[in-house]
Amino acid sequence: MNNIKLLFFATLRDRAGTKSMDLEIPEDLTIQGLKDKLARDFPNLAQSMSSVIVTINREYAFDEAVVPPSAEIALFPPVSGG
Amino acid sequence: MQSELPTIYSITEDEIDLDALLAAITLESTGAAAIFTGMVRGVTRRDDPHETVYLEYESYVPMAEAKMKQVADEIRAKWPVIEGIAIVQRIGRLYPKTPTVLIACTAAHRDTGVFDAARYGIDRLKEIVPVWKKEVGPNGEEWVEGDYIPKPGE
Repeated sequence: MNNIKLLFFATLRDRAGTKSMDLEIPEDLTIQGLKDKLARDFPNLAQSMSSVIVTINREYAFDEAVVPPSAEIALFPPVSGG
Repeated sequence: MQSELPTIYSITEDEIDLDALLAAITLESTGAAAIFTGMVRGVTRRDDPHETVYLEYESYVPMAEAKMKQVADEIRAKWPVIEGIAIVQRIGRLYPKTPTVLIACTAAHRDTGVFDAARYGIDRLKEIVPVWKKEVGPNGEEWVEGDYIPKPGE
């Protein structure tokens, strides 16, 4: 198993009800697999998973990427700084 | 040589000090600076007219600062004549008329692309730097969401 850290920002944090959580996931799970798991385990997040932006260790990541060991994964909506 | 050129990038909760930032990116050879700063707009007339009481900014700070450095690197790749670069985003609760972001680029002369470089900086910040704002108005609050989806390698 792979122990990862999840970070949530903006609307994702509101829906998750937390800024961060530790999660145990299967090895070789992809980002798409992680999104599917989060949608199942946390129904409040399900509607966000189709449009969420995901990063792995502070770099933008895409559905086919495999979550590396002990990764820091962040989930957030399109950015709105400035 | 290029590694000695001043590049400042930060997420801060403090007031943005334009004079100090400008001084830090001004070299002996500098003769021009293009500065963009954005502030909280209290009254919006365009598109969806509304009033803003304040904006609440948050950031994924370590990634945001890394992406600001990436924006600075992109500016230097596109406009090698740029001398100094400052990119600062203020976060926290910010009220109308308060500056929230600053992008400044310096160069020897004004006809070097320095205006375009600063414009590129703010446009890229709004695409790839992980910062979000919640708008609080007289009738409630709402997260502002951008519309840019980063591409692989960004």
